[in-house]
Amino acid sequence: MARWTPERRKKAWIKGGFSVYYVIFILFIYGPMIAMFVLSFQGRRGGTSFPMRGVSLHWWQKLIEPSTVGDLQGALLRSLVLALIVMVITALFSTMLAMAFRKRFTGSNVLFYTVMAGLMIPGILLSLGLASLLRQVGIPPAWYSSALGVHVVWTLPFGFLVMMAVFNRFDGRLEEAARDMGADEWTVFKEVTLPLITPGIVAAGLFGFTLSYDEFARTTLLAGEFNTLPLDINASMTQRIRPTLFALGTASTLFSLLMIGLFLVIYTLLMRRFR
Amino acid sequence: MTARKPTDTSKTKRTGMSRRTFMGTTAGAVAAGSVVGGFPSIGHGAETLRTIGLGVSVINEIQGKASQDLGLKVRGQALGYGAMFGKMLNQNDQYEIAEGYFNDMDVFIPAKVWQPIDTQRIRDWDKVTNLAKTGKLTPDSNAGQGDAPFRHLWLDADGNRVDGPSRYISMLPGWHNADSLGYNPEETGRDIESWADLFSEEFKGQVALLNVPQIGTMDAALAIEAMGAYTFKDKGNMTREEIDFLIKFLIERKKEGHFRAFWETFGQSVNLMVSGEVAVQSMWSPAVTAVKAEGVPCIYAFPKEGMRGWHGGLAISAKVTGKQLDAAYEYLNWWLDGWAGAFVARQGYYMSVPENVKKHLEPEEWDYWYMGKPAAKELPDPFDTIIVEKGEVRDGGSYWDRFSNIAVWNSLMDENDYLVKRWTEFLSA
Amino acid sequence: MQQIAETHHTGLIGSQPVPPAAIDEAKKLRREPGFPTAWLITLPTAWLILFLVLPLLGIIVFSFWSSSGHGMEPALTLENYRAYFEAEGFFDPESDRFLTPSVFLRTLGSTLYFTLVVMALCLLVGYPIAYFLAMQVQSFKWQMALFLLAMVPFWTSYLIRAVAWLPMLGRRGLLNTFLINIGAIDKPTSLLLYSEFGYTMALVQLYVVLCVGPIFFSLAKIDKAILEAARDMGATSFQIFREIIGPLSLPGVAIGMIFIFVMIMGEFATAVVVYGGKTTTTGTVILNYYAIANYPFAAVNALMLMLAMMIGVIVILRVVNIRKEL
Repeated sequence: MARWTPERRKKAWIKGGFSVYYVIFILFIYGPMIAMFVLSFQGRRGGTSFPMRGVSLHWWQKLIEPSTVGDLQGALLRSLVLALIVMVITALFSTMLAMAFRKRFTGSNVLFYTVMAGLMIPGILLSLGLASLLRQVGIPPAWYSSALGVHVVWTLPFGFLVMMAVFNRFDGRLEEAARDMGADEWTVFKEVTLPLITPGIVAAGLFGFTLSYDEFARTTLLAGEFNTLPLDINASMTQRIRPTLFALGTASTLFSLLMIGLFLVIYTLLMRRFR
Repeated sequence: MTARKPTDTSKTKRTGMSRRTFMGTTAGAVAAGSVVGGFPSIGHGAETLRTIGLGVSVINEIQGKASQDLGLKVRGQALGYGAMFGKMLNQNDQYEIAEGYFNDMDVFIPAKVWQPIDTQRIRDWDKVTNLAKTGKLTPDSNAGQGDAPFRHLWLDADGNRVDGPSRYISMLPGWHNADSLGYNPEETGRDIESWADLFSEEFKGQVALLNVPQIGTMDAALAIEAMGAYTFKDKGNMTREEIDFLIKFLIERKKEGHFRAFWETFGQSVNLMVSGEVAVQSMWSPAVTAVKAEGVPCIYAFPKEGMRGWHGGLAISAKVTGKQLDAAYEYLNWWLDGWAGAFVARQGYYMSVPENVKKHLEPEEWDYWYMGKPAAKELPDPFDTIIVEKGEVRDGGSYWDRFSNIAVWNSLMDENDYLVKRWTEFLSA
Repeated sequence: MQQIAETHHTGLIGSQPVPPAAIDEAKKLRREPGFPTAWLITLPTAWLILFLVLPLLGIIVFSFWSSSGHGMEPALTLENYRAYFEAEGFFDPESDRFLTPSVFLRTLGSTLYFTLVVMALCLLVGYPIAYFLAMQVQSFKWQMALFLLAMVPFWTSYLIRAVAWLPMLGRRGLLNTFLINIGAIDKPTSLLLYSEFGYTMALVQLYVVLCVGPIFFSLAKIDKAILEAARDMGATSFQIFREIIGPLSLPGVAIGMIFIFVMIMGEFATAVVVYGGKTTTTGTVILNYYAIANYPFAAVNALMLMLAMMIGVIVILRVVNIRKEL
């Protein structure tokens, strides 16, 4: 049993205060999701706003049935695959670039602001610009080629800046030491650098996944013949919006929470094994 | 399906397989190759016809049925309005059929992205009503101002406009409707019979307007005229002075807090009404049906000044030739045959060939949707959900009543750039 | 861009014990460390040229073309730029529009102003969360889990979440019902949705997580031993924050602010959904002109927006030079 010194008590209060603030924060950012959870169980004849007209699993069931307008399942699958590819490329490219930027090189400023331009260029025009180019050379756009290209342009600066933050004040002496002991660059990277920057790489990849999965404007002219999920949802709004969307949202939230739970469990088990 | 291999070689290894799996799930009803309803079978699934449009006409059931009947693969890509418009204009090599709208013809005809359609290849061309051909559904109809279909229909063989009728047309007239005000009688406490009520003081803070500059201004113009505040020479093609007056008027109303919101999509307008946010708003007739289906009272006004019409149709990309062109014409002919018309009728849209649609509707459905009579029994939407109770009457009367009194059609004005600029000022005021 | 010669923050306790000059000296004696730069940048650069630089050049070219009403026609005209800047009655003291810039510039200005407000709010709301995660939560495991928990809403498509705003904040929404039930208000308030208040809150809610991440990262890297040492030397919590934690978290703050800045400057969807379209941002102007196929004018608006963003990012990087602090 810990003794409650005034010092400890003060610390506990501060921690308690922050914890309460965190909970309020979570409630705040989950705000509209609460209505979404509830309405996903809307009755058969209800819609996407209150009042509830009964309670049912009707819209959850619709989730696995073919949709009326568009193709929810196919679009979801395409968006997930696209987001995963973007995630990997973003993580890879932002690590490479951030490592390059640890040294000075000619044109580094130009490259830096070119990467940043990806953040600033309005998506709909990037889409138009690339679509015009592709038409000139006769390459048809597709979600896995042209859309992938502009998605990475969009996500790369996020990952890159995160990696810059990671390498910011990164202690290079460990690497130096490894080099002094004769390790080649690959070994240095694998054994020393990589373990230190892994959380950053994960974060960069997460940015990539999240931003790509949700990207609409950049995809409009570049998805080709098959819609990604945002395009599909956008199309479905030309009809009555059905609570199926809310079932999808709730399902993806539950899935994400499950993944976080899984992460906790796996991480705990791994730590136990390595201890 | 195999006709369209991904040309991108950089990642075929990775995505080639997943793409095929996707196709499997996307396909829906794949052409069974059966010959139904006397349609000649073309290519037995070897041909793929790509069609793009809004969720109004690009609906899996419709293209699935077309695939089945025609023995070819018709694959629809539904898009939102902006995405659809951009793709139609800039990527006519990405689709064979464009399920477009006549009010965009000022863009599409001069852009020549679509090819003139030969009416001699349209089997039921004679059955298409005069609404799209002359603007007069009945002999004493009011053709209405603005981009009425008949003003954008007739072309020569090279795709240039001519004064009709001629052999070639820009787009095969298809589904259409007339919009007006939708209102919740419990909130308004009275009937609404004039566009003027859009700006009525008593509904202050409970009004929504369509946030598409070209159409929102027309609803506002109809209301302003109905109030007697101003007369526009042509609401479908306003002058700068008229636009200035209109925007000034709107800004004043906005500053008074008259508008609750501006909506952009069908779904948004339904939600605004169902959730009780607004009492009156410019609205589409099927959206009113959707509100009622969710148990909220909603009436589709039949204003004495007339309604605002819009007309969709089917166009063929300029890039389509040979066998694909034959297939495209078959798809167009299939649309006119009535099955698709009956399908969209159950959502509240009308089709340019009522006599063919009638063959595919039950008599009670025909009476309710087209004739404006009370429903003799419960009626379903196309997905077998009951949306009309027995005894209900469709607001706005019969098809012929509605379309003989169109005040103005959705339009693209000559001063479009100026309009968008002033609309921007209105919204930021 | 000129580099700011600044390696240390004033008052920084516990910076690297070896003066940087000495390290540089030592480095010269060794082979160039790390992977060759060319390896690292070739592939990303090629990607950026193909998918960013070339389309961007296209947009710049388009901005000098003329609009035909149904697309673009190659030309070399400044007409679009004139239309962007031209303001009727600007020089006319009699006019009620005297010294009023064009609506496009005003829209850009109000977009910028609003962005700054939201950035400040996000920092205010987000910083304590990052601080809590980095300083109060002890294990890496829980730090990650709690951070990811805040990310989860992002994995639901924006368009779906957007639809859920109405049933949450509307007159008959959950929040109004809740407030009435606890007796905070007697009748439903319209203030929550389609109001500037609701719009601001929505943007903070949507984007605050973007700044929590980077700030959390830079805070998590602070050596706890330094803080303990400072405390042992009698520094108050406020001093520790001002002297150590604050400065060391600046790069994270800067990066987080860049994220939020570009996101909100480019916003167009939230204004429609949560503010009921009752305002315009430069993003909506671009979309409106795109929608009527006036691509050259949309391009001019886009380039002006990019210019404003570029200036904003440069200003942020002038204040905190994240590259210099590597």
